[in-house]
Amino acid sequence: MEERFIIDLWVNNRFGVLNRITGLYSKRGYNIETIHAGPTDVPGVTKIEIVSTGDDYMRTQVISQLEKLYDIRKVDLRTEMTGD
Amino acid sequence: MRLKGATILIEELLRQGVDTVFGYPGGAVLDIYDELYKYSDRIDHVITAHEQGACHAADGYARASGKTGVVIATSGPGATNLVTGIANANLDSVPLVAITGNVSVNALGRDSFQEVDIVGITQPIVKHNFMVRHVQELEQTIKEAFLIANSGRKGPVLIDIPKNVQTDTCEYGIAVVPRMPDKPKLPYVKDKVLEAIRNSTKPFIYCGGGVIAASAEQEVLELSHRLDAPVGLSMMGRTALPDSYDYNLGMCGMHGEYAASKAQSECDLMLAIGVRFSDRATGDLNEYTKKCTVIHIDIDKAEFGKNVDPDFCLQGDVKAILQDLLKDLKGVRHPEWREEITEFKKTKTPDRPGEFCPKNIIEAVRRHMQDSTVVATDVGQHQMWTVQYYDFEQPRTLLTSGGLGTMGYGLGAAIGGCIGSGRKRTVLFTSEGSFGMNLNELCTVVSQDLPITIVVLDNNVLGMVRQWQGIFYEGRYSQTTLNRKTDFAALANAFGAKGYSVATLEELEKVLTETDTGDKGAYLIDCHINQDEKVLPMIPPGKSIKNIILKG
Ligand SMILES: Cc1ncc(C[n+]2csc(CCOP(=O)(O)OP(=O)(O)O)c2C)c(N)n1
Repeated sequence: MEERFIIDLWVNNRFGVLNRITGLYSKRGYNIETIHAGPTDVPGVTKIEIVSTGDDYMRTQVISQLEKLYDIRKVDLRTEMTGD
Repeated sequence: MRLKGATILIEELLRQGVDTVFGYPGGAVLDIYDELYKYSDRIDHVITAHEQGACHAADGYARASGKTGVVIATSGPGATNLVTGIANANLDSVPLVAITGNVSVNALGRDSFQEVDIVGITQPIVKHNFMVRHVQELEQTIKEAFLIANSGRKGPVLIDIPKNVQTDTCEYGIAVVPRMPDKPKLPYVKDKVLEAIRNSTKPFIYCGGGVIAASAEQEVLELSHRLDAPVGLSMMGRTALPDSYDYNLGMCGMHGEYAASKAQSECDLMLAIGVRFSDRATGDLNEYTKKCTVIHIDIDKAEFGKNVDPDFCLQGDVKAILQDLLKDLKGVRHPEWREEITEFKKTKTPDRPGEFCPKNIIEAVRRHMQDSTVVATDVGQHQMWTVQYYDFEQPRTLLTSGGLGTMGYGLGAAIGGCIGSGRKRTVLFTSEGSFGMNLNELCTVVSQDLPITIVVLDNNVLGMVRQWQGIFYEGRYSQTTLNRKTDFAALANAFGAKGYSVATLEELEKVLTETDTGDKGAYLIDCHINQDEKVLPMIPPGKSIKNIILKG
């Protein structure tokens, strides 16, 4: 079943990191609805929040592919849809 | 020690254990090539005819030797010429470090001469890539690149080095040894897996390239003995087990052996080790695992459930996992299953004694080679015939483009494979379509004095495509009849190798004997075969073993 979901990412703020992330979505034909990035307390680490829609398969694929990226430190699937 | 960037690069390559690199010079890598000149007693550079050839050579070198392949190219067209080779290495999980030059940092983004965004271009086809903007980052970046290329699921890493970073200087020898970042892992469900294995009466082992990447061949063999389980291989898994082992059923899937695909569809337990379940291997996913429990063992978490939903997954180094499982597995026998397998093995494509057909040609060539001979292929029918009929006995002796199916891969790969295996006699099976794509590398074979035997299974057509047109497009052979007039034997002679043209088994045998000159001499043997030879068996795309085509 298609559902909206939010993924929180903590990434090394290095050259091209956003490209790599959005590339993973577009390669598989998944749409990003909202993307939001900002600094964290840790120097060099950025937090990115991505809202998209997809089924179970798409969600697990996206998460495990994101986890593989060298510059990604942490991937969290947020369960409830809050604004933050 | 204060050094310039180009020197740091070469020093660090040496520290990484690199003694051979492949590449092609140009304006944006002049400083790197100047250092290669000075270091030529410690690092060998192989110049090819084309950067694509260099990239495939680095890939073939890595597959044959197990080391990380290194390729160097200049900016712009040099860099873009690497793209196919990088994608090829990526899909087959080959450890490769590609180094490109670029325009100086202050000229970036101005559409300067020979400037391309190679980091952007290759981003979807690398494991990771870097643009080094300051010489101070160079040492650390190279260390990380080699670590990434060669750890976990291996793959290509590109480092783009602007010209000023090559000439700027900084302290060398101060970078820290990097570590791969920790990533979440699946829980290790060993007990459940052991229980599933113990409950099985028809176990089947399906092994892929991951087994070879992890050097887990002995563990798979032991598992097969212990569980009395036959083994089927994906194309990338070919050479994981010797063909002389009677429970090695050969390749599964579209052009696999009947017995291998049949056993896979009849088993009650599939132990899938280091495989990614490509569509060419699985066919119809609904039929594929209908009768069995699937245990998937792999280093890459993202592979679990990507194509096939396993009942149990074990994530980690395949060799370590198998060693751990073996500790708790006693030997069992499954005589009834063995009888079934023996029955399956009886269905084979018929022998054609005396005929000048692919199987007989490949077997004749094999008789003149060693168990350790490295064999490269291009892509098409001849590739499938080689995988089916050549008798492989040792791991890493087959270099073939699995995931990308790159026509033109073979000659570069054979060059790299030959060098990576200590410049021993190496064989390339190709066909006129694929060979036509990168035959320019014949000059490299000759200038490097490489003992390579090129066997052209020359059918005058783009055979594999023609076969599909015959079966699925009612024989409308659109653009697959080549009618070229190239005399390959003469061409080989023109390049400085020795060429032969043969059309019977007797002629072939005579040439094979004449060219059986150990590790010296480059030869091309053009074998004229019938244009209607088919690759069989064939499971049509998206279908299952029920639809297998056995006869042409
Ligand atoms: C670079 C590239 N272009 C096109 C294809 C599509 N393709 C797959 S097999 C094949 C025919 C190969 O012909 P040939 O090399 O003569 O081998 P044969 O099948 O005749 O043995 C083609 C065109 C490909 N795999 N790679």
